[in-house]
Amino acid sequence: MSSASITEDRSLRAKWSRSQRKVVPYVFISPFYILFIVFSVGPLIYALYLSLHRWPGSGPMRHVGLGNYTYLAGDPVFLKSLGNTVYYAIGAFLFILPLALVLALLINSTLIRLKSIFRIGYFLPILTSTVAATLIFLLIFNNQFGLINQGLALLGIPALKWLDEELVKISVLAVATWRYTGINVLYFLTGLQSIPPDLYEAAQVDGAGTWAQFRFVTIPQLRPIALFVGVVTMIGSFHLFAEPLLLADGGPNEASLTLANYLYRMGFTNAKLGYGSAIGWVLALIIFGLSFIQLYLFGAFRKED
Amino acid sequence: MDMTLTRRAQRTIAYGFLFFILISMATPFVWMISNTFKEQYEIFQLRPTLIPEEPHLGNYIRLFAEFDFAHHFLNSAFIAVVHTVSHLFLASLAGFAFAKYAFPLKNFLFLVLLGSMMVPLYTIFIPLFVLVIRLGLVNSYAGVIIPGVAGAFGIFFMKQSMEAVPNELLDSARIDGASEFRIYWQIALPLVRPALAVLAVLAFMNSWNDFVWPLVVLRSRELQTLPVVMAGMVGMYRMEHGVIMAASLLSTLPILLLFLALQKQFVQGLTVGAIKS
Repeated sequence: MSSASITEDRSLRAKWSRSQRKVVPYVFISPFYILFIVFSVGPLIYALYLSLHRWPGSGPMRHVGLGNYTYLAGDPVFLKSLGNTVYYAIGAFLFILPLALVLALLINSTLIRLKSIFRIGYFLPILTSTVAATLIFLLIFNNQFGLINQGLALLGIPALKWLDEELVKISVLAVATWRYTGINVLYFLTGLQSIPPDLYEAAQVDGAGTWAQFRFVTIPQLRPIALFVGVVTMIGSFHLFAEPLLLADGGPNEASLTLANYLYRMGFTNAKLGYGSAIGWVLALIIFGLSFIQLYLFGAFRKED
Repeated sequence: MDMTLTRRAQRTIAYGFLFFILISMATPFVWMISNTFKEQYEIFQLRPTLIPEEPHLGNYIRLFAEFDFAHHFLNSAFIAVVHTVSHLFLASLAGFAFAKYAFPLKNFLFLVLLGSMMVPLYTIFIPLFVLVIRLGLVNSYAGVIIPGVAGAFGIFFMKQSMEAVPNELLDSARIDGASEFRIYWQIALPLVRPALAVLAVLAFMNSWNDFVWPLVVLRSRELQTLPVVMAGMVGMYRMEHGVIMAASLLSTLPILLLFLALQKQFVQGLTVGAIKS
Protein backbone atom coordinates (compact mmCIF):
# COMPACT_ATOMS: atom_id res chain seq x y z
CA MET A 1 0.00 0.00 0.00
CA SER A 2 1.44 3.40 -0.97
CA SER A 3 1.84 6.12 1.61
CA ALA A 4 -0.59 8.34 -0.33
CA SER A 5 -3.44 5.86 0.04
CA ILE A 6 -2.71 5.53 3.75
CA THR A 7 -3.12 9.29 4.24
CA GLU A 8 -6.24 9.22 2.11
CA ASP A 9 -7.53 6.37 4.18
CA ARG A 10 -6.70 8.31 7.35
CA SER A 11 -8.50 11.45 6.22
CA LEU A 12 -11.54 9.44 5.18
CA ARG A 13 -11.56 7.82 8.56
CA ALA A 14 -11.17 11.18 10.27
CA LYS A 15 -14.12 12.51 8.30
CA TRP A 16 -16.25 9.49 9.15
CA SER A 17 -15.19 9.78 12.77
CA ARG A 18 -16.17 13.48 12.86
CA SER A 19 -19.59 12.96 11.35
CA GLN A 20 -20.12 9.97 13.60
CA ARG A 21 -19.33 12.17 16.58
CA LYS A 22 -22.14 14.55 15.66
CA VAL A 23 -24.82 11.88 15.75
CA VAL A 24 -23.47 9.47 18.32
CA PRO A 25 -24.20 11.48 21.51
CA TYR A 26 -27.87 11.75 20.55
CA VAL A 27 -28.01 8.01 20.00
CA PHE A 28 -26.36 7.39 23.36
CA ILE A 29 -28.78 9.57 25.32
CA SER A 30 -31.91 8.72 23.32
CA PRO A 31 -33.01 5.67 25.38
CA PHE A 32 -33.53 7.88 28.41
CA TYR A 33 -35.53 10.53 26.53
CA ILE A 34 -37.68 7.98 24.72
CA LEU A 35 -38.49 6.19 27.99
CA PHE A 36 -38.98 9.51 29.79
CA ILE A 37 -41.47 10.77 27.21
CA VAL A 38 -43.35 7.48 26.97
CA PHE A 39 -43.38 6.51 30.65
CA SER A 40 -43.31 9.90 32.44
CA VAL A 41 -44.32 12.91 30.35
CA GLY A 42 -47.08 11.04 28.56
CA PRO A 43 -48.60 9.64 31.77
CA LEU A 44 -48.25 13.03 33.48
CA ILE A 45 -50.36 14.69 30.77
CA TYR A 46 -52.70 11.72 30.57
CA ALA A 47 -53.19 11.94 34.34
CA LEU A 48 -54.32 15.54 33.93
CA TYR A 49 -56.72 14.49 31.15
CA LEU A 50 -58.04 11.56 33.22
CA SER A 51 -58.53 13.84 36.21
CA LEU A 52 -61.10 15.81 34.20
CA HIS A 53 -63.11 12.67 33.48
CA ARG A 54 -65.05 9.96 35.15
CA TRP A 55 -63.78 6.57 34.01
CA PRO A 56 -63.97 3.10 35.57
CA GLY A 57 -61.05 1.82 33.47
CA SER A 58 -63.08 0.56 30.54
CA GLY A 59 -65.94 1.80 28.41
CA PRO A 60 -66.58 5.47 27.60
CA MET A 61 -65.11 8.34 29.60
CA ARG A 62 -67.38 11.08 30.82
CA HIS A 63 -66.04 14.61 30.86
CA VAL A 64 -66.72 16.21 34.24
CA GLY A 65 -64.56 19.34 34.02
CA LEU A 66 -63.14 20.17 37.41
CA GLY A 67 -65.80 18.00 39.03
CA ASN A 68 -63.28 15.54 40.51
CA TYR A 69 -61.35 18.38 42.09
CA THR A 70 -64.38 20.09 43.60
CA TYR A 71 -65.54 16.73 44.89
CA LEU A 72 -62.11 16.19 46.48
CA ALA A 73 -62.43 19.46 48.38
CA GLY A 74 -65.48 18.07 50.15
CA ASP A 75 -64.44 14.42 50.43
CA PRO A 76 -63.92 13.72 54.16
CA VAL A 77 -61.70 10.66 53.50
CA PHE A 78 -59.48 12.65 51.15
CA LEU A 79 -59.20 15.47 53.69
CA LYS A 80 -58.41 12.98 56.40
CA SER A 81 -55.69 11.30 54.33
CA LEU A 82 -54.26 14.74 53.50
CA GLY A 83 -54.23 15.57 57.21
CA ASN A 84 -52.57 12.25 58.05
CA THR A 85 -49.91 12.77 55.40
CA VAL A 86 -49.15 16.26 56.70
CA TYR A 87 -49.01 14.75 60.21
CA TYR A 88 -46.38 12.23 59.06
CA ALA A 89 -44.38 14.96 57.31
CA ILE A 90 -44.43 17.21 60.39
CA GLY A 91 -43.57 14.21 62.58
CA ALA A 92 -40.58 13.44 60.39
CA PHE A 93 -39.36 17.03 60.59
CA LEU A 94 -39.92 17.32 64.34
CA PHE A 95 -38.66 13.90 65.32
CA ILE A 96 -36.55 12.03 62.75
CA LEU A 97 -34.47 14.96 61.53
CA PRO A 98 -33.57 16.44 64.97
CA LEU A 99 -32.72 12.94 66.22
CA ALA A 100 -30.54 12.33 63.18
CA LEU A 101 -28.82 15.70 63.61
CA VAL A 102 -28.07 15.07 67.30
CA LEU A 103 -26.69 11.60 66.52
CA ALA A 104 -24.55 13.00 63.70
CA LEU A 105 -23.19 15.78 65.93
CA LEU A 106 -22.33 13.27 68.66
CA ILE A 107 -20.65 10.85 66.25
CA ASN A 108 -18.73 13.73 64.71
CA SER A 109 -17.60 15.15 68.06
CA THR A 110 -14.18 14.50 69.53
CA LEU A 111 -15.85 12.84 72.53
CA ILE A 112 -16.65 9.67 70.67
CA ARG A 113 -14.61 6.78 69.40
CA LEU A 114 -16.05 3.66 67.69
CA LYS A 115 -17.64 6.08 65.23
CA SER A 116 -18.09 3.49 62.50
CA ILE A 117 -20.01 1.10 64.78
CA PHE A 118 -22.68 3.76 65.29
CA ARG A 119 -22.64 4.94 61.71
CA ILE A 120 -23.09 1.43 60.34
CA GLY A 121 -25.46 0.30 63.10
CA TYR A 122 -27.88 3.16 62.49
CA PHE A 123 -27.61 2.62 58.76
CA LEU A 124 -28.63 -1.06 58.67
CA PRO A 125 -32.45 -0.60 58.81
CA ILE A 126 -32.52 1.26 55.47
CA LEU A 127 -31.34 -1.98 53.84
CA THR A 128 -34.62 -3.71 54.63
CA SER A 129 -37.56 -3.35 52.28
CA THR A 130 -40.45 -1.23 53.56
CA VAL A 131 -42.47 -4.45 53.51
CA ALA A 132 -40.05 -6.44 55.69
CA ALA A 133 -39.61 -3.48 58.05
CA THR A 134 -43.35 -3.03 58.48
CA LEU A 135 -43.92 -6.75 59.01
CA ILE A 136 -41.38 -6.76 61.85
CA PHE A 137 -43.13 -3.81 63.48
CA LEU A 138 -46.53 -5.37 62.94
CA LEU A 139 -45.40 -7.96 65.44
CA ILE A 140 -43.72 -5.46 67.75
CA PHE A 141 -46.84 -3.28 67.88
CA ASN A 142 -49.38 -6.11 68.17
CA ASN A 143 -52.28 -4.76 70.26
CA GLN A 144 -52.11 -7.61 72.76
CA PHE A 145 -48.88 -9.57 72.52
CA GLY A 146 -46.44 -7.26 70.77
CA LEU A 147 -42.91 -6.86 72.11
CA ILE A 148 -43.68 -3.38 73.41
CA ASN A 149 -46.76 -4.51 75.27
CA GLN A 150 -44.85 -7.52 76.61
CA GLY A 151 -42.23 -5.07 77.86
CA LEU A 152 -44.88 -2.85 79.43
CA ALA A 153 -46.40 -5.89 81.11
CA LEU A 154 -43.05 -6.70 82.73
CA LEU A 155 -43.15 -3.19 84.19
CA GLY A 156 -46.73 -3.73 85.31
CA ILE A 157 -48.16 -1.27 82.78
CA PRO A 158 -51.34 -2.38 80.98
CA ALA A 159 -51.10 -3.02 77.22
CA LEU A 160 -51.59 -0.07 74.88
CA LYS A 161 -53.40 -0.54 71.59
CA TRP A 162 -50.67 0.67 69.24
CA LEU A 163 -52.62 -0.10 66.08
CA ASP A 164 -55.89 1.52 67.18
CA GLU A 165 -57.12 4.86 65.98
CA GLU A 166 -55.43 6.92 68.68
CA LEU A 167 -51.89 5.55 68.38
CA VAL A 168 -51.61 4.13 64.87
CA LYS A 169 -50.01 7.26 63.39
CA ILE A 170 -47.34 7.16 66.10
CA SER A 171 -46.65 3.53 65.17
CA VAL A 172 -46.29 4.42 61.49
CA LEU A 173 -43.87 7.18 62.45
CA ALA A 174 -41.94 4.71 64.59
CA VAL A 175 -41.38 2.43 61.58
CA ALA A 176 -40.27 5.44 59.54
CA THR A 177 -37.95 6.57 62.35
CA TRP A 178 -36.38 3.14 62.50
CA ARG A 179 -35.84 2.95 58.75
CA TYR A 180 -34.83 6.52 57.90
CA THR A 181 -32.91 7.93 60.90
CA GLY A 182 -29.61 6.27 59.92
CA ILE A 183 -29.55 7.52 56.35
CA ASN A 184 -30.18 11.06 57.60
CA VAL A 185 -27.35 10.65 60.12
CA LEU A 186 -25.12 9.86 57.16
CA TYR A 187 -26.38 12.89 55.24
CA PHE A 188 -25.69 15.19 58.20
CA LEU A 189 -22.28 13.59 58.78
CA THR A 190 -21.40 14.25 55.14
CA GLY A 191 -22.33 17.88 55.72
CA LEU A 192 -20.44 18.15 59.01
CA GLN A 193 -17.29 16.64 57.57
CA SER A 194 -17.28 19.07 54.66
CA ILE A 195 -17.06 22.08 57.01
CA PRO A 196 -13.52 23.47 56.71
CA PRO A 197 -11.73 23.07 60.10
CA ASP A 198 -10.13 26.54 59.84
CA LEU A 199 -13.60 28.06 60.28
CA TYR A 200 -13.68 26.57 63.79
CA GLU A 201 -10.10 27.66 64.42
CA ALA A 202 -10.95 31.22 63.39
CA ALA A 203 -14.00 31.16 65.66
CA GLN A 204 -11.86 29.96 68.58
CA VAL A 205 -9.37 32.75 67.96
CA ASP A 206 -12.31 35.15 68.16
CA GLY A 207 -13.13 33.62 71.55
CA ALA A 208 -16.24 31.68 70.52
CA GLY A 209 -17.30 28.91 72.93
CA THR A 210 -18.77 25.56 71.93
CA TRP A 211 -22.28 26.93 71.62
CA ALA A 212 -21.23 30.02 69.67
CA GLN A 213 -19.24 27.82 67.29
CA PHE A 214 -22.27 25.62 66.78
CA ARG A 215 -24.54 28.60 66.29
CA PHE A 216 -22.31 30.66 63.99
CA VAL A 217 -20.24 28.04 62.16
CA THR A 218 -21.96 24.64 62.17
CA ILE A 219 -25.56 25.75 61.56
CA PRO A 220 -24.87 28.12 58.65
CA GLN A 221 -22.43 25.65 57.08
CA LEU A 222 -25.01 22.86 57.24
CA ARG A 223 -27.48 24.90 55.19
CA PRO A 224 -27.00 23.11 51.83
CA ILE A 225 -27.23 19.64 53.37
CA ALA A 226 -30.22 20.70 55.46
CA LEU A 227 -31.99 21.83 52.31
CA PHE A 228 -31.30 18.50 50.63
CA VAL A 229 -32.40 16.52 53.69
CA GLY A 230 -35.51 18.68 54.04
CA VAL A 231 -36.64 18.21 50.44
CA VAL A 232 -35.92 14.46 50.48
CA THR A 233 -37.79 14.02 53.79
CA MET A 234 -40.77 16.00 52.57
CA ILE A 235 -41.03 14.06 49.32
CA GLY A 236 -40.54 10.78 51.19
CA SER A 237 -43.32 11.64 53.65
CA PHE A 238 -45.73 12.31 50.82
CA HIS A 239 -44.84 8.93 49.30
CA LEU A 240 -45.53 6.86 52.44
CA PHE A 241 -47.45 3.82 51.30
CA ALA A 242 -46.44 0.38 52.56
CA GLU A 243 -46.18 1.24 56.27
CA PRO A 244 -49.81 2.35 56.88
CA LEU A 245 -51.11 -0.21 54.38
CA LEU A 246 -49.51 -3.20 56.08
CA LEU A 247 -49.71 -2.00 59.69
CA ALA A 248 -53.41 -1.22 59.64
CA ASP A 249 -54.70 -1.18 56.04
CA GLY A 250 -54.91 2.61 56.29
CA GLY A 251 -57.23 2.32 59.25
CA PRO A 252 -58.70 1.95 61.71
CA ASN A 253 -61.35 4.38 60.49
CA GLU A 254 -58.82 5.85 58.00
CA ALA A 255 -56.69 7.08 60.91
CA SER A 256 -53.40 6.07 59.23
CA LEU A 257 -54.42 6.43 55.55
CA THR A 258 -52.01 8.49 53.40
CA LEU A 259 -52.67 10.31 50.13
CA ALA A 260 -50.76 7.57 48.30
CA ASN A 261 -52.91 4.90 50.01
CA TYR A 262 -56.11 6.74 49.07
CA LEU A 263 -54.95 7.22 45.47
CA TYR A 264 -54.22 3.51 45.23
CA ARG A 265 -57.57 2.62 46.77
CA MET A 266 -59.47 4.87 44.36
CA GLY A 267 -57.48 4.01 41.23
CA PHE A 268 -56.98 0.29 41.69
CA THR A 269 -59.43 -1.08 44.25
CA ASN A 270 -62.46 1.08 43.40
CA ALA A 271 -61.60 1.58 39.68
CA LYS A 272 -62.19 5.34 39.82
CA LEU A 273 -59.29 6.22 37.56
CA GLY A 274 -60.29 9.83 36.99
CA TYR A 275 -60.75 10.55 40.68
CA GLY A 276 -57.48 8.78 41.53
CA SER A 277 -55.63 10.84 38.92
CA ALA A 278 -57.05 14.03 40.44
CA ILE A 279 -55.59 12.97 43.80
CA GLY A 280 -52.29 12.39 41.98
CA TRP A 281 -52.26 15.89 40.57
CA VAL A 282 -53.12 17.46 43.93
CA LEU A 283 -50.23 15.44 45.40
CA ALA A 284 -47.89 16.72 42.67
CA LEU A 285 -48.94 20.34 43.22
CA ILE A 286 -48.39 20.00 46.98
CA ILE A 287 -44.92 18.48 46.45
CA PHE A 288 -43.93 21.15 43.91
CA GLY A 289 -45.28 23.91 46.16
CA LEU A 290 -43.50 22.67 49.27
CA SER A 291 -40.23 22.09 47.38
CA PHE A 292 -40.41 25.63 46.06
CA ILE A 293 -41.08 27.04 49.54
CA GLN A 294 -38.15 25.10 50.99
CA LEU A 295 -35.82 26.26 48.22
CA TYR A 296 -37.02 29.82 48.78
CA LEU A 297 -36.62 29.69 52.57
CA PHE A 298 -33.11 28.35 52.22
CA GLY A 299 -32.26 31.10 49.80
CA ALA A 300 -31.55 28.83 46.86
CA PHE A 301 -32.95 31.53 44.55
CA ARG A 302 -30.98 34.36 46.16
CA LYS A 303 -27.98 35.63 44.24
CA GLU A 304 -24.66 35.10 46.00
CA ASP A 305 -23.41 38.43 47.26
CA MET B 1 -9.81 19.47 86.98
CA ASP B 2 -13.35 20.69 86.85
CA MET B 3 -13.24 20.81 83.05
CA THR B 4 -12.00 17.22 82.69
CA LEU B 5 -14.75 16.00 84.96
CA THR B 6 -17.44 17.66 82.91
CA ARG B 7 -15.83 16.28 79.80
CA ARG B 8 -15.95 12.81 81.26
CA ALA B 9 -19.59 13.34 82.21
CA GLN B 10 -20.33 14.60 78.70
CA ARG B 11 -18.66 11.56 77.22
CA THR B 12 -20.67 9.20 79.43
CA ILE B 13 -23.93 10.86 78.47
CA ALA B 14 -22.98 10.86 74.78
CA TYR B 15 -22.06 7.18 74.77
CA GLY B 16 -25.14 6.34 76.80
CA PHE B 17 -27.42 8.03 74.30
CA LEU B 18 -25.65 6.60 71.25
CA PHE B 19 -25.77 3.06 72.65
CA PHE B 20 -29.41 3.45 73.71
CA ILE B 21 -30.35 4.37 70.14
CA LEU B 22 -28.12 1.61 68.76
CA ILE B 23 -29.86 -0.99 70.92
CA SER B 24 -33.27 0.39 69.92
CA MET B 25 -32.27 0.10 66.27
CA ALA B 26 -30.94 -3.44 66.72
CA THR B 27 -33.93 -4.76 68.69
CA PRO B 28 -36.28 -5.23 65.71
CA PHE B 29 -33.57 -7.22 63.90
CA VAL B 30 -32.89 -9.39 66.95
CA TRP B 31 -36.60 -9.88 67.56
CA MET B 32 -37.14 -10.88 63.94
CA ILE B 33 -34.33 -13.46 64.00
CA SER B 34 -35.40 -14.87 67.36
CA ASN B 35 -39.02 -15.28 66.26
CA THR B 36 -38.18 -17.20 63.13
CA PHE B 37 -37.29 -20.15 65.42
CA LYS B 38 -40.44 -20.00 67.57
CA GLU B 39 -43.88 -21.51 67.37
CA GLN B 40 -46.70 -18.96 67.26
CA TYR B 41 -47.65 -19.63 70.90
CA GLU B 42 -44.15 -18.77 72.06
CA ILE B 43 -44.10 -15.56 70.04
CA PHE B 44 -47.30 -14.49 71.78
CA GLN B 45 -46.60 -15.63 75.31
CA LEU B 46 -46.67 -12.86 77.87
CA ARG B 47 -43.02 -13.16 78.86
CA PRO B 48 -40.92 -12.58 75.71
CA THR B 49 -38.01 -14.96 75.14
CA LEU B 50 -34.86 -13.88 73.36
CA ILE B 51 -33.54 -17.44 72.94
CA PRO B 52 -36.43 -19.68 71.86
CA GLU B 53 -37.38 -22.20 74.56
CA GLU B 54 -38.18 -24.83 71.99
CA PRO B 55 -36.26 -23.80 68.89
CA HIS B 56 -37.55 -25.34 65.70
CA LEU B 57 -37.15 -24.83 61.96
CA GLY B 58 -40.83 -25.30 61.15
CA ASN B 59 -41.29 -21.71 59.99
CA TYR B 60 -38.52 -22.05 57.42
CA ILE B 61 -39.80 -25.40 56.23
CA ARG B 62 -43.33 -24.05 55.81
CA LEU B 63 -42.01 -20.94 54.08
CA PHE B 64 -40.41 -23.05 51.38
CA ALA B 65 -43.04 -25.79 51.22
CA GLU B 66 -46.29 -23.79 51.46
CA PHE B 67 -45.31 -20.34 50.24
CA ASP B 68 -42.92 -21.38 47.48
CA PHE B 69 -40.31 -19.01 48.84
CA ALA B 70 -37.43 -20.16 46.60
CA HIS B 71 -39.51 -19.49 43.50
CA HIS B 72 -40.39 -15.91 44.50
CA PHE B 73 -36.83 -15.33 45.66
CA LEU B 74 -35.63 -16.19 42.16
CA ASN B 75 -38.30 -13.91 40.63
CA SER B 76 -36.98 -11.02 42.69
CA ALA B 77 -33.39 -11.90 41.85
CA PHE B 78 -34.12 -12.13 38.12
CA ILE B 79 -35.87 -8.75 38.01
CA ALA B 80 -33.19 -7.09 40.13
CA VAL B 81 -30.32 -8.44 38.01
CA VAL B 82 -31.93 -7.51 34.67
CA HIS B 83 -32.85 -4.07 36.02
CA THR B 84 -29.35 -3.47 37.38
CA VAL B 85 -27.50 -4.55 34.24
CA SER B 86 -29.76 -2.58 31.88
CA HIS B 87 -29.70 0.46 34.13
CA LEU B 88 -25.90 0.42 34.34
CA PHE B 89 -25.62 0.14 30.57
CA LEU B 90 -28.08 2.93 29.73
CA ALA B 91 -26.90 5.25 32.49
CA SER B 92 -23.20 4.89 31.70
CA LEU B 93 -23.82 5.28 27.96
CA ALA B 94 -25.80 8.49 28.41
CA GLY B 95 -23.42 9.71 31.14
CA PHE B 96 -20.53 9.16 28.72
CA ALA B 97 -22.31 11.19 26.03
CA PHE B 98 -23.01 14.08 28.41
CA ALA B 99 -19.46 14.07 29.76
CA LYS B 100 -17.46 13.62 26.58
CA TYR B 101 -19.26 15.23 23.64
CA ALA B 102 -20.25 18.75 22.75
CA PHE B 103 -23.55 18.83 20.89
CA PRO B 104 -26.35 21.30 20.25
CA LEU B 105 -29.05 21.48 22.98
CA LYS B 106 -26.80 19.62 25.43
CA ASN B 107 -27.45 21.99 28.33
CA PHE B 108 -31.17 22.08 27.68
CA LEU B 109 -31.37 18.29 27.48
CA PHE B 110 -29.41 17.98 30.71
CA LEU B 111 -31.84 20.36 32.45
CA VAL B 112 -34.72 18.21 31.24
CA LEU B 113 -32.91 15.21 32.68
CA LEU B 114 -32.59 16.86 36.09
CA GLY B 115 -36.21 18.04 35.93
CA SER B 116 -37.40 14.51 35.25
CA MET B 117 -36.43 13.60 38.83
CA MET B 118 -39.18 15.94 40.04
CA VAL B 119 -42.05 13.91 38.54
CA PRO B 120 -43.83 12.33 41.55
CA LEU B 121 -44.33 8.58 41.21
CA TYR B 122 -47.92 8.50 42.41
CA THR B 123 -49.08 11.24 40.04
CA ILE B 124 -48.25 9.11 37.00
CA PHE B 125 -49.17 5.86 38.70
CA ILE B 126 -52.67 5.31 37.30
CA PRO B 127 -52.01 6.42 33.69
CA LEU B 128 -48.75 4.45 33.69
CA PHE B 129 -50.71 1.36 34.62
CA VAL B 130 -53.24 2.04 31.82
CA LEU B 131 -50.33 2.46 29.40
CA VAL B 132 -48.68 -0.77 30.51
CA ILE B 133 -51.98 -2.60 29.91
CA ARG B 134 -52.33 -1.05 26.43
CA LEU B 135 -48.77 -2.06 25.57
CA GLY B 136 -49.59 -5.61 26.64
CA LEU B 137 -46.91 -5.47 29.32
CA VAL B 138 -49.17 -6.06 32.30
CA ASN B 139 -48.34 -9.21 34.23
CA SER B 140 -44.87 -9.38 32.69
CA TYR B 141 -41.37 -8.66 33.93
CA ALA B 142 -40.92 -6.24 31.03
CA GLY B 143 -43.77 -4.19 32.48
CA VAL B 144 -42.03 -4.08 35.86
CA ILE B 145 -38.56 -3.29 34.53
CA ILE B 146 -38.88 -1.06 31.44
CA PRO B 147 -40.61 2.10 32.81
CA GLY B 148 -37.92 2.75 35.42
CA VAL B 149 -34.85 1.36 33.72
CA ALA B 150 -33.25 4.62 32.51
CA GLY B 151 -33.35 6.63 35.73
CA ALA B 152 -32.04 10.18 35.51
CA PHE B 153 -30.12 9.90 38.75
CA GLY B 154 -27.90 7.13 37.34
CA ILE B 155 -27.06 9.21 34.25
CA PHE B 156 -26.27 12.22 36.40
CA PHE B 157 -24.06 10.07 38.62
CA MET B 158 -22.23 8.40 35.73
CA LYS B 159 -21.64 11.74 33.99
CA GLN B 160 -19.65 12.88 37.03
CA SER B 161 -17.24 9.96 36.88
CA MET B 162 -17.05 9.85 33.08
CA GLU B 163 -15.74 13.42 33.19
CA ALA B 164 -12.58 12.11 34.87
CA VAL B 165 -11.73 9.85 31.92
CA PRO B 166 -8.78 11.51 30.07
CA ASN B 167 -9.67 12.84 26.61
CA GLU B 168 -6.24 11.84 25.25
CA LEU B 169 -7.11 8.17 25.68
CA LEU B 170 -10.32 8.60 23.72
CA ASP B 171 -8.63 10.60 20.99
CA SER B 172 -5.82 8.13 20.49
CA ALA B 173 -8.39 5.34 20.16
CA ARG B 174 -10.16 7.44 17.53
CA ILE B 175 -6.91 7.80 15.58
CA ASP B 176 -6.63 4.02 15.66
CA GLY B 177 -10.07 3.94 14.04
CA ALA B 178 -12.17 2.70 16.94
CA SER B 179 -15.90 3.42 16.68
CA GLU B 180 -17.43 5.73 19.28
CA PHE B 181 -19.35 2.87 20.89
CA ARG B 182 -16.17 0.84 21.10
CA ILE B 183 -14.41 3.76 22.75
CA TYR B 184 -17.18 3.87 25.35
CA TRP B 185 -17.23 0.13 25.84
CA GLN B 186 -13.52 -0.69 25.83
CA ILE B 187 -11.88 2.45 27.16
CA ALA B 188 -14.29 4.57 29.21
CA LEU B 189 -16.33 1.85 30.87
CA PRO B 190 -13.42 -0.09 32.46
CA LEU B 191 -12.09 3.18 33.88
CA VAL B 192 -15.30 4.00 35.75
CA ARG B 193 -15.70 0.56 37.32
CA PRO B 194 -15.75 1.92 40.90
CA ALA B 195 -18.65 4.22 40.06
CA LEU B 196 -20.45 1.38 38.32
CA ALA B 197 -20.14 -0.70 41.48
CA VAL B 198 -21.72 2.09 43.55
CA LEU B 199 -24.58 2.48 41.10
CA ALA B 200 -25.00 -1.30 40.87
CA VAL B 201 -25.60 -1.84 44.59
CA LEU B 202 -28.02 1.08 44.63
CA ALA B 203 -29.97 -0.15 41.59
CA PHE B 204 -30.04 -3.73 42.84
CA MET B 205 -31.30 -2.73 46.28
CA ASN B 206 -33.97 -0.41 44.89
CA SER B 207 -35.27 -3.09 42.56
CA TRP B 208 -35.04 -5.88 45.16
CA ASN B 209 -36.99 -3.84 47.73
CA ASP B 210 -39.49 -2.29 45.31
CA PHE B 211 -43.07 -2.94 46.32
CA VAL B 212 -45.82 -0.76 44.82
CA TRP B 213 -45.07 -1.02 41.11
CA PRO B 214 -44.56 -4.82 41.05
CA LEU B 215 -47.70 -5.07 43.19
CA VAL B 216 -49.89 -3.56 40.47
CA VAL B 217 -48.12 -4.97 37.39
CA LEU B 218 -47.69 -8.61 38.42
CA ARG B 219 -51.17 -10.07 38.64
CA SER B 220 -50.48 -13.79 38.70
CA ARG B 221 -48.94 -15.29 41.78
CA GLU B 222 -46.22 -17.29 40.08
CA LEU B 223 -44.62 -14.10 38.72
CA GLN B 224 -44.71 -12.12 41.97
CA THR B 225 -41.67 -10.81 43.82
CA LEU B 226 -40.83 -11.29 47.49
CA PRO B 227 -42.20 -8.00 48.87
CA VAL B 228 -45.51 -8.54 47.07
CA VAL B 229 -45.87 -12.11 48.32
CA MET B 230 -44.85 -11.09 51.84
CA ALA B 231 -47.40 -8.28 51.88
CA GLY B 232 -50.00 -10.86 50.86
CA MET B 233 -49.25 -12.89 54.00
CA VAL B 234 -50.62 -10.04 56.14
CA GLY B 235 -54.19 -10.20 54.93
CA MET B 236 -54.52 -13.92 55.61
CA TYR B 237 -57.14 -15.29 57.95
CA ARG B 238 -54.59 -16.55 60.43
CA MET B 239 -51.34 -14.65 60.27
CA GLU B 240 -48.33 -16.92 60.71
CA HIS B 241 -45.93 -14.53 62.39
CA GLY B 242 -43.04 -16.98 62.59
CA VAL B 243 -43.27 -17.70 58.87
CA ILE B 244 -43.58 -13.99 58.09
CA MET B 245 -40.49 -13.24 60.17
CA ALA B 246 -38.55 -16.00 58.39
CA ALA B 247 -39.56 -14.46 55.05
CA SER B 248 -38.53 -10.99 56.24
CA LEU B 249 -35.16 -12.26 57.38
CA LEU B 250 -34.39 -14.28 54.25
CA SER B 251 -35.54 -11.47 51.97
CA THR B 252 -33.26 -9.00 53.74
CA LEU B 253 -30.27 -11.35 53.84
CA PRO B 254 -28.99 -10.82 50.24
CA ILE B 255 -28.88 -7.06 50.73
CA LEU B 256 -27.22 -7.43 54.14
CA LEU B 257 -24.57 -9.75 52.70
CA LEU B 258 -24.04 -7.43 49.74
CA PHE B 259 -23.66 -4.59 52.22
CA LEU B 260 -21.07 -6.43 54.28
CA ALA B 261 -19.07 -7.15 51.12
CA LEU B 262 -19.43 -3.70 49.56
CA GLN B 263 -19.90 -1.38 52.52
CA LYS B 264 -18.07 1.56 50.98
CA GLN B 265 -20.07 1.39 47.74
CA PHE B 266 -23.36 1.28 49.64
CA VAL B 267 -22.60 4.27 51.81
CA GLN B 268 -21.31 6.21 48.83
CA GLY B 269 -24.30 5.28 46.69
CA LEU B 270 -26.83 6.30 49.29
CA THR B 271 -25.17 9.59 50.20
CA VAL B 272 -24.04 10.67 46.76
CA GLY B 273 -27.16 12.77 46.25
CA ALA B 274 -26.33 14.73 49.38
CA ILE B 275 -22.73 15.36 48.36
CA LYS B 276 -23.67 16.48 44.89
CA SER B 277 -26.22 18.95 46.24
